[in-house]
Amino acid sequence: MSILDFLNFYLIPGVVLGSIYALGAVGITLIFAILRYAHLAHGDLATLGAFLAFAVVTGFGLSPLAALPIAMILTAGVAVGIDKVFYEHLRERPKIVTVMASLGIALMVRSVVQVVWGVDAESYVRGIVRPENYFGLRIKDREIYTVVFMLALVGGLQLFLARSKWGKAMRAMSDNPNLALLSGIDNKKVVILTWVIAGGLCAASGVFLGINTELKSMMGWHMLLPMFAGAILGGVGRVEGAVLGGLIVGIAEELSVLVLPSEYKAAMAFAILLFMLLVRPTGLLRGKVL
Amino acid sequence: MELIGLANYALFMGIFIGIYALLALGLNIQWGFAGLFNAGIAGFFAVGAYTSAILTSPYAEGRLGGFELPFYVGWIGAMIAAALIAWPIGKICLRFRSDYLAIASIGVAEIIRLVIKSEAELTNSARGITNIPRPYGDLPYVQSQMAYLAIVAIVLLVAYLMVERQFNAPWGRMMRAIRDNELAARAMGKNVEYRRLEAFIFGSALMGLGGALFAHFNRSITPEAIDPMVATFLVWIMLILGGSGNNRGAILGAAVVWTIWSVSEIATDQLPQEYAVKAKYIRLFLIGLMLQLVLRFRPEGLLPEPLRGDLRSDDVSSEK
Amino acid sequence: MKILLSMNGVTGGYGDADILQDVSIQVDDKEIVVIVGPNGAGKSTAMKAVFGLLKIRGGSIIFDDDRITGWAPNRIVQRGICYVPQVDNIFREMSIHENLEMGAFLKKGDLSAAYDRVYELFPDLKERRKTLAGALSGGQRQMVAMGRALMLDPKLLLLDEPTAGLSPRYMEQIFQICRDVRDTGVAILLVEQHAKQALAFADRGYVLAAGQNRHEGTGAHLLADREVAEMFLGG
Repeated sequence: MSILDFLNFYLIPGVVLGSIYALGAVGITLIFAILRYAHLAHGDLATLGAFLAFAVVTGFGLSPLAALPIAMILTAGVAVGIDKVFYEHLRERPKIVTVMASLGIALMVRSVVQVVWGVDAESYVRGIVRPENYFGLRIKDREIYTVVFMLALVGGLQLFLARSKWGKAMRAMSDNPNLALLSGIDNKKVVILTWVIAGGLCAASGVFLGINTELKSMMGWHMLLPMFAGAILGGVGRVEGAVLGGLIVGIAEELSVLVLPSEYKAAMAFAILLFMLLVRPTGLLRGKVL
Repeated sequence: MELIGLANYALFMGIFIGIYALLALGLNIQWGFAGLFNAGIAGFFAVGAYTSAILTSPYAEGRLGGFELPFYVGWIGAMIAAALIAWPIGKICLRFRSDYLAIASIGVAEIIRLVIKSEAELTNSARGITNIPRPYGDLPYVQSQMAYLAIVAIVLLVAYLMVERQFNAPWGRMMRAIRDNELAARAMGKNVEYRRLEAFIFGSALMGLGGALFAHFNRSITPEAIDPMVATFLVWIMLILGGSGNNRGAILGAAVVWTIWSVSEIATDQLPQEYAVKAKYIRLFLIGLMLQLVLRFRPEGLLPEPLRGDLRSDDVSSEK
Repeated sequence: MKILLSMNGVTGGYGDADILQDVSIQVDDKEIVVIVGPNGAGKSTAMKAVFGLLKIRGGSIIFDDDRITGWAPNRIVQRGICYVPQVDNIFREMSIHENLEMGAFLKKGDLSAAYDRVYELFPDLKERRKTLAGALSGGQRQMVAMGRALMLDPKLLLLDEPTAGLSPRYMEQIFQICRDVRDTGVAILLVEQHAKQALAFADRGYVLAAGQNRHEGTGAHLLADREVAEMFLGG
């Protein structure tokens, strides 16, 4: 296999898939670190985001990229609403109860998608997209958008967390929740902010998966494991870790085809997850272990 | 509906309730008593179903099998296989908070699903395994159903008595102490990990047994026989609604939820085709909503966990 | 001198059990008051009662002429009491400067005067303001924790065993900082395990045992008391 083949057939698709996982993994890592539970409905929220964008694309004739911000805002709103209605009152109970509730939410969100949009595969635009040729590298425009948007969104988030008052408050809440409360940081606002960010990124990950492949009601559920593997691989609570982890999981899945039957692509995420829990549960960038 | 039809349906439902009750009992060991979150119930179920199918079915071209062992050997094999899968997962994940086990168990179920679909020489992939012998399966239809219901009931009763006995033994007291007081549990160190692992393995073995009972009842098992997410979720809602920590609650929950689930299926199947499909998803939505409502308004379930003496002492926080 | 804080006959605890029984403590303006006593005497609990972290079933807490019994912690913070817990009292993964910023979270407007004041008290911190707080030594962490609490210009600072686990050299340094803080007009109420050293440096002290007041008086007076010495100070 030539270097170009390796790049074209394995590395580039891996980076694209990894970017999609990274967007979800960032939200998972924030929720894990700030709200302190594993959010199992994350994948299905991404499905919802993808289909909301689909509704905008088909309803108003916008391009998927133009529909993206709308879908992000709508999904963020749904995420905040779910938290208000279903998770908030469980906050005083053991966190694992919320994990269970989120499994139920996953089912509920998915069935809404299935009732509204059905179970058949859909796509944003019809027709085959031919990749452009860059000195032998075959890259589709949408693949470039995916990676660039991921970097821009995560870069913006990093800036927000590093510079703004409320971004710092989120970090403080993740770092030491008791002290954050003693300092007068409003827990409720931080929670809402976390859901807005996680929900928006979730939608972005669903939309980009839809742009690069197709829309299916199970698409998000199947991303849940890779997204968690990415978050844990990078280190829980580490945004840059989640990006790194998401990319590694995506690339590993594409490369796995070289040694494993392609049916087992999805097993890579699981293998990475168990391996990290076994040898380095804090992840590559020393995150939290709950 | 004719009386005979109704009676047959009741038998059929009784058998399914028994199988689900076994799963709920297994989950009760894990969640109700040890606080372990298993979101991969369908995976352990499938492992049990396929293991017993392979061990007991007659020879078929192109796949492993032809052992034709007696059904009870298959069932014991199902429990052992499920336990063997639970062991390494528990070993790795039980050191951490249960969130990690939840994620890993979703992964286990997913991998098991992939293996079943792709390893034809083991599972005959999409076509599945057929001709699985059913105990007393040679009897006429109704008698055979009744006999199988009796077998399921006996298995369930034995499992119930054994689990109940364990819970009242020192093992059960320790499990509850671990579940209710993470700090005290940590102080006990290694021992706790080991106990949790035991709970996870025993619970998974019961789920494997449930799978075996299902496969022998159907006389066949295919990858599409159960929807993993639906099955897993139904067992969860059964336990939570019935009352986690209470074995009778788990069985009651299985009866209530399965009755609602299958009666609503009959009702929605009367609808025209296009609505019937949608109705299936609406039922899923409602079952998800039911969990949220139970968690919010009746977290202790229909039958709350009985006070077993050791739970009554108040946890007095001390300084520091 | 004006009375800043007075706890009058406070009874309460975390759950249903009363850990404090009829405890009274008073802090005057610009005074350093120490609470000492054996393990489990309710020292930290008494301090948490002031900060609204306790279920109070009897008595009252008056601060600066306001009855603050039953107030939520963040209201108390805004009223002018800041609290430094014994453990986990910094944001480890944030820089020293960000720790201070979080301390001033409730403050609107320009923070530069508050930063200047804190950095003046802790010049070591100013040099390392970009360093992650988790990378500091125990004594420096304690300084960050105190600095964070001082950002809101409190009138009263509550310190829960600020010298726990520190070497004698750092202990002296922390005590010196407490005096410096007091000299800027802040009263301090602290809980201490090192009873002897603490009583020697504080203006006044309270000895608690089994959740009740035992002795009170100036540091020198308590140190001279034979009963106190035998009971709690180990000679």
